[in-house]
Amino acid sequence: MSATFEWSESNTVSETITDGIANVNFGSNDSSELDTATYPIVRGSSSFEKYIRAKFSDVFTEISNIIFWKSAGALVTGETIKAAVNVAFTTPSSTANADSAVPTTEGTALSLQSAEGAATIVYGASGVSGYTGYIRLQTSSTLSTPTGAGNQKTFTMQYDEV
Amino acid sequence: MDNTISINLNSGNNPMNSLTFYWMAEFKNGVIFQFEDGKEHKFQEVKDRINELEFFHLYHKDGMSNINFIVDLKKGFIKTLDSQEPETVEPKENIRLIFFRRHRVDLNNSGKEIGHSIMYHLGFQYNDKLGNNRQVVLKIDNVGNWIIGD
Repeated sequence: MSATFEWSESNTVSETITDGIANVNFGSNDSSELDTATYPIVRGSSSFEKYIRAKFSDVFTEISNIIFWKSAGALVTGETIKAAVNVAFTTPSSTANADSAVPTTEGTALSLQSAEGAATIVYGASGVSGYTGYIRLQTSSTLSTPTGAGNQKTFTMQYDEV
Repeated sequence: MDNTISINLNSGNNPMNSLTFYWMAEFKNGVIFQFEDGKEHKFQEVKDRINELEFFHLYHKDGMSNINFIVDLKKGFIKTLDSQEPETVEPKENIRLIFFRRHRVDLNNSGKEIGHSIMYHLGFQYNDKLGNNRQVVLKIDNVGNWIIGD
């Protein structure tokens, strides 16, 4: 056995938590696994923010050194992807936030804590939920951004398990 | 519709890759196998007795004898099961085990998880005769290829 992990997304003012999501589709609506055809992002605007977390369960002793970055894929003109980690959940907004651009190297990757603010997720410890802190993501474009789908991108999450 | 960005995680509810290597810990008094009598011991049990730990083994679950690493925590070296112990080993102080699995999960924005690599990190850190902290770590992939650090 080893740990099992799943992705979780939080939405709405009352924080609707959806574990086991299959994608993080950005769009013009605050919902998980949204249909991008139904909720497209209009050129020159921003997507709703995405609040996602990893959740670890099953058998492990400790998860540590959790980092996140964009490891491949060029942005097109006017396109930005912003990210922040370990932030408090607030109602997702489509107003451009002030977060920094998502890091693009392992050396500058964002370091995730546990949801409880610890450096590690310790199995079975009192008060430990198994969630990481939030990763807040938002994508924006400008009127100079080419229409259509952007370039393929790769996002990487790395963590140590014992 | 002008722009679409989606990250398909494709890993929700999927278990992490199953274990390729199992560990075995030799203490001053007793041994713990990771899997024993149908039960899995958590590594926490090793951490709880870390001061008694003398040898730590990492071996292939299918019994491939050429992939069986042993960390000697009394003298401070790593060997394979079939290799001879070095005739001389530089004295070391405060020898401590290093062991974890490093996962790297790559996600794309078009439909699938495109990679999930796992490297076992196995070794020890110690203080040399000048008191400097040093470490020796093998990075071992799922098929037993290994390198010393990088």
